[in-house]
Amino acid sequence: MSSLSRQQAEEILFEEARILDDRRYDEWFAMLTDDAIYWVPCNGEGLDPNREISLVYDDHARLRDRIDRLGSGVAHAQSPPSKTCRLISNVQIEQTSGDAAGITSAFFLYELRHARQRIFAGRYHHRLRFEDGRWKIASKKAVLINNDEVIDNLTFIV
Amino acid sequence: MAPRLNFDELVQDERVHRKIYTEAEVFDAEMEQIFERTWVFVGHESEVAASGDYKTITIGTQPAIMTRDEDGGINVLMNRCMHRGSTICQEQRGNSSYFRCWYHGWTYTNRGELVGLPYAAGYGKSFDRSKFSLVRARVGIYRGLVFASLNPEVQEVAEHLARAKYYIDLFMDLSPEGEIDARCGTHKYGYDGNWKFQMENGVDGYHPNFVHQSFFEIQGKQLGRKVMKLFTEESAYQTKDLGNGHSILDMAPQRKLRRPVNNILRGSTSQASIDSYMESLIRRYGDERTSEILGASNVNLAVFPNLLIIGIQFRNVIPVSVNRSDVYLTPTTLKGVPEEINVARLRAHEAFYGSAGGGAPDDVEMFNRCTAGLRVKGAEWLELSRGMEREHTGEDGSPVAHITDELPQRAFYRQWRNLMCGAAANVTELRPRPAAALD
Repeated sequence: MSSLSRQQAEEILFEEARILDDRRYDEWFAMLTDDAIYWVPCNGEGLDPNREISLVYDDHARLRDRIDRLGSGVAHAQSPPSKTCRLISNVQIEQTSGDAAGITSAFFLYELRHARQRIFAGRYHHRLRFEDGRWKIASKKAVLINNDEVIDNLTFIV
Repeated sequence: MAPRLNFDELVQDERVHRKIYTEAEVFDAEMEQIFERTWVFVGHESEVAASGDYKTITIGTQPAIMTRDEDGGINVLMNRCMHRGSTICQEQRGNSSYFRCWYHGWTYTNRGELVGLPYAAGYGKSFDRSKFSLVRARVGIYRGLVFASLNPEVQEVAEHLARAKYYIDLFMDLSPEGEIDARCGTHKYGYDGNWKFQMENGVDGYHPNFVHQSFFEIQGKQLGRKVMKLFTEESAYQTKDLGNGHSILDMAPQRKLRRPVNNILRGSTSQASIDSYMESLIRRYGDERTSEILGASNVNLAVFPNLLIIGIQFRNVIPVSVNRSDVYLTPTTLKGVPEEINVARLRAHEAFYGSAGGGAPDDVEMFNRCTAGLRVKGAEWLELSRGMEREHTGEDGSPVAHITDELPQRAFYRQWRNLMCGAAANVTELRPRPAAALD
């Protein structure tokens, strides 16, 4: 195998975006490595999750809990669920070696729930690892531009 | 003009009228009668730890700045230039010894004195700049919690806190140094609904099994026991009225020494860190007090009108308008414990709280649903009578009832009625109920 190309990176990000917009969370979970981290910082860029509160700082096990809870039928903040549509652009490969790569991208995310539409925007930072013959997501950090402001409900997966 | 609402009739012992959540007239009166007259929680000392540190806050809907001056004092200054009314500080937080209004350049110290007056000659010789200091609020500090009041006659903050002080002490004493830090940032969420929904909900032991069923099922799986039993009729947990509108869900009666630690840390911390933490607590406080303190590691405490202390957090409820509220959750860390313990506290907080948590957003969903439901005019009252018949006096003299009872909400609204009906802000004991009227 060779290092990750931008086209490959985009294919992975676009596939992930589609899966999340469809709320096929089990399929998304399968895109992750067993030690994956899903991180949505609060109050800024997110420098150190051990010294700052985050909106989300899930390891693999907690992410499983999150997905199970969302699928429980009694997660009221997602009942009815958010409909989302996200656009990903400005994809840049930050670093890539034989079996690891870092990608940054910009996103727009439109969310509709209870007849109200909201717009979120920010940057994704993905770390990918080549495992079992394919690229998997080892970490995903979503830095929302409004993460230091009031956000009423962020219970869908960003 | 429509006749003014009679607040005394809108809030009765066992029920409240929907108009207290929906009428702008009530909200405006609350800002004057409650938020301008009693103590309002604005933050923790450690948020402005260094000299020059500041953070912007609100007292009711009024913008203000909490500052740490060069002598180490904490000031609460209204964020309003004394010249033409512009706000003088635009940032959420920062460090500065001076605040300049960029409209015409008037400049104030972080104690509020006007020290910069551009082209001063134009004001003539009789202009007395000492009369143009920023408006100051009174500041009251208890165990590092900072309260502000716009009422010069307000009672001392310690007196205002009444029996809530005992539980605030327990919360702070979870640190073997007796001090906490609030410097890990703040979760901010809001909802389309009245601020009182959040204050009621923070000490509501009746809702968890329904609103938080999805979370408890996951938690139960991890802990290998049924969490939901704690909020049923079989529970030994209690609600307690702490005076002056304050109340608590008291989840201490069933606690043993070890379990609360595990409960906070949720199995994510090494035994060595837990042991070291426990030893330092026992060394500082002794066995008995340590047990008592650990019982507080899962408190839900409401301090009238706008503070909740829940889990590891201070929760500041911020009224925006009659049907819009913001809520700021500031998690705390303990001084003098292994770092691992504080990391576990943050992770435990994130699991449930904040805009993306597994619990709090479900509460918020209910507030939005209440706002929608209360547009119905055929039903005028909200029922808060649960447990009135089994309310009794507890060991410390506080009125107590079962965990699922609506005693905290009744305590809140007694104080609400006292202040809204014009009683002095230093009323400690409550007057007897009026005859029920208005249907």
